[in-house]
Amino acid sequence: MDSNFILEFKDVTKQFPGVLALKDVSFEVRRGEIHGICGENGAGKSTLMKILSGVYPHGTYEGKIIFDGEELKLGESSIREASEKGIAIVYQELTLVPTMSVGENVFLGREPVEGQTINWNKLYADTKQILSNYGLNVSPQEIIKNLGVGKMQMVEIAKALSEDAKVLILDEPTSALSEAEVEKLMDILKTLKAHGITCLYITHKLEEFFRITDRITVMRDGKVVVTEPTENLSVEKLVRHMVGREMKERFPKGKRKPGEVVFEVNDLLALDPNDASHKVLNGVNFNVRRGEILGIAGLMGSGRTELVMTLFGEYGKIVNGKIMLEGKEIKPQSAREAIDAGLSLVPEDRKGFGLVLIQSILKNISLAHLNQFSGFLRIDADAELKASLKQAKSLTIKTSSFEALVETLSGGNQQKVVISKWLLSNPVVLIMDDPTRGIDVGAKYEIYKLMNDLAEKGVAIIMISSELQEVLGMSDRIMVMCRGRSAGVLPVQEASEERIMSLATGISS
Amino acid sequence: MESTQTEKSKMSFAAEVFQIARRNAQTYTILLALVGIWLIFFFTTDGTYLASQNVSNLFRQMSVTAFLAAGMVLVIVTGNIDLSVGKMAGFVSVVVAYLQANTWYDYLPNQPLLAAVLSVTVGLAVGALFGALQGYIIAYLNVPSFIVTLAGLWLFNGLILLVTEGKTIPANQPWFEGIAQGYVPALWGWIFAVFAIGFLFWSMFRSRQNKQKHGFELRNIYIDLLITGFASLIILVYVYNVNNYRGIQNPVLLLAITVAIMVHISNNTRFGRYAYAIGGNREAARLSGINIRSMIFRIFVLMGFLSGMAGVVLASYVGYGTIAAGTGYELDAIASCILGGTSTLGGIGTVPGAMIGALIIASLSTGLQMMNVAPAWQYVVKAIVLVLAVLADVYFKKNR
Repeated sequence: MDSNFILEFKDVTKQFPGVLALKDVSFEVRRGEIHGICGENGAGKSTLMKILSGVYPHGTYEGKIIFDGEELKLGESSIREASEKGIAIVYQELTLVPTMSVGENVFLGREPVEGQTINWNKLYADTKQILSNYGLNVSPQEIIKNLGVGKMQMVEIAKALSEDAKVLILDEPTSALSEAEVEKLMDILKTLKAHGITCLYITHKLEEFFRITDRITVMRDGKVVVTEPTENLSVEKLVRHMVGREMKERFPKGKRKPGEVVFEVNDLLALDPNDASHKVLNGVNFNVRRGEILGIAGLMGSGRTELVMTLFGEYGKIVNGKIMLEGKEIKPQSAREAIDAGLSLVPEDRKGFGLVLIQSILKNISLAHLNQFSGFLRIDADAELKASLKQAKSLTIKTSSFEALVETLSGGNQQKVVISKWLLSNPVVLIMDDPTRGIDVGAKYEIYKLMNDLAEKGVAIIMISSELQEVLGMSDRIMVMCRGRSAGVLPVQEASEERIMSLATGISS
Repeated sequence: MESTQTEKSKMSFAAEVFQIARRNAQTYTILLALVGIWLIFFFTTDGTYLASQNVSNLFRQMSVTAFLAAGMVLVIVTGNIDLSVGKMAGFVSVVVAYLQANTWYDYLPNQPLLAAVLSVTVGLAVGALFGALQGYIIAYLNVPSFIVTLAGLWLFNGLILLVTEGKTIPANQPWFEGIAQGYVPALWGWIFAVFAIGFLFWSMFRSRQNKQKHGFELRNIYIDLLITGFASLIILVYVYNVNNYRGIQNPVLLLAITVAIMVHISNNTRFGRYAYAIGGNREAARLSGINIRSMIFRIFVLMGFLSGMAGVVLASYVGYGTIAAGTGYELDAIASCILGGTSTLGGIGTVPGAMIGALIIASLSTGLQMMNVAPAWQYVVKAIVLVLAVLADVYFKKNR
């Protein structure tokens, strides 16, 4: 029992139906260090953090976690227990109540009371104390929704720290932050370290590890590859550990032969539908060829998703610019018009936007194209089944029955359902917004192969991705977006992670 | 060798029955509850509960709220609610009674058939029109349906007082009276029964054929035969029973036709599919090119039309237009849907389920009345049944 370590993972194994998420994970975290955890999506980082923070209580996994010298056994109300023991987590998705004040959020569920009445003065005074202790510059009375993402993140951290956290887990804290905000966060982390708080730091931005961490654990496919002091590592070494094989293997190279330009966007300018003074798109220019994969890269908030939703007629109000499809100008005002024109959109967040989870696979596949099989009075069930089944089978969706509900499928298979749905109409342009987010490596490979097949058949594919490696591995050309405009279009041969990031952050143009 | 084979197929048959029962636990629980309620009242009333005349009354009594429930299913499925339907039906009933008693009497004397046809037309149109008004405000002006239809409830209450001036209006003229008080001749009753049963078997075999054609696993044919056979038996028993009295009631026949149409709409048309998709995931529906506003608008027009239908049947059944007409029917209709498995979260619910729900509520009311239970306790019993049914549903969903 080495008191040098605040946390020890010993052979932690977690099994989900059909997926082994963690396998014999063992490593130690030293007291007071900033410990980076690195790995691709699906490597098991988030699952591990969920075990640590009590989302998956003791008994739902195998192996042991020693926290501060004692085995961690979190029971039924495990999330509460974890934070009481001093394990705090700041999630990727912010978990603040937007309509409440900073102070109310920080003390949510633990409000200081006198008898049965909340002591507001104490609540706000304590909040102010915590905020100033760690150099967070936010007013305790401010309503959360009036804050920017960066400040919200800081409130999240303050909330976590207010419970006397010994270990603070930061799960991709910078994915939505600007460079200045990242800088600020780094300063805060250094202050925390000086206060003796241990940090587990997860990020996809590899260079951040080298700015802040003491040691790094690399995970791949649910296993720990290595735990090493940061000074012994480099970005190249990290990538090699993360991927564990050559890039060629991760991304199947297709025999794509891009043809003529079929889709073109010129000088697109669009306003935020909720705030007409804000230009969500401010000068977007690009084109896509038949049989080509155009990658769109950019930081969160750069307007990638807003762009494709606007092209699909469901977001921004277009005030300037032209959208040309097969030589004709189109002005889609709704998803229906976009679909009828020949666009298809595999949206980001398949559960939120892509699927009706409580319906069957077949019903999901036919949903957007029921007009192909039906008049006003009746759906031709025979034709519907035939077409949907053909798609479901050709994309090899793995399921016990095609009448099973989509919610019973794994992430990769759910994504195949979304793609099947859009292939029902032979689209000219297929837009895919982060198509491999949150699905495991094997399923990703299948999706990539599918994209190659489609491109070879002449579909023009526009792929948004948050993973630079994916953009570099799959695209023929890459458009980089920055603050609502296209900062540049690069042929893949001329692109590199550094080049893309400098365009995305606006350092170069 | 052979005996083990039959044993194995027997086992799998039992297992299959069990599996189907488990998967549809909710449906079967509610059916069992209905049978249980009938049995209890059968014994407590010494058998008169299930006598021909009473069964006849029971079904006729449920018909008004059943029309409302048939429309309410789709409203709730899309994640909306309509609190105005009871009073809307009440309003239609007094309008129709007013026309019958005054207008047609003045302008079209001695033409009872034409008067009745006109009354029905106006009644349905009034329902659809107010449905369209509410639907427009909900879908295009973005006011929550709860608020709009609560306002609708108050509005119709006021309009009813305006039309009736606080008096009761007779609506018991020939032809019109027949809509809800008339009976189908016995022979025609049997013809309808045979037709319905024929349709059940035809659609069962067609569905099996279709599944086989597309390579789906078929369930044991005996299970399908058993279920369809059981449904047919119920139709036969019902028709035999009511024919012993005076025949199938007109409103029940009307309801059966309405339900058949609503089932078709919800399962086999784009309109129905879109409604379930909107309730299941509004954003996914929108990005699939579904025009959400137009869909919600049309759902409320349909709801208004069915409220109009309920109003016409109500006026004819009661024989009067009164200021209390339709009071509380919206809650019976909503409860029928919930009892029948409609999810308040949207996306899930069936019209036949809601019909069983409506039948349970009507069965409770008539049974308790026959036992001379005080109205106060009738409410208490209904409250307990509703909560128990939903509790059972929650329990089964958790343990599926």
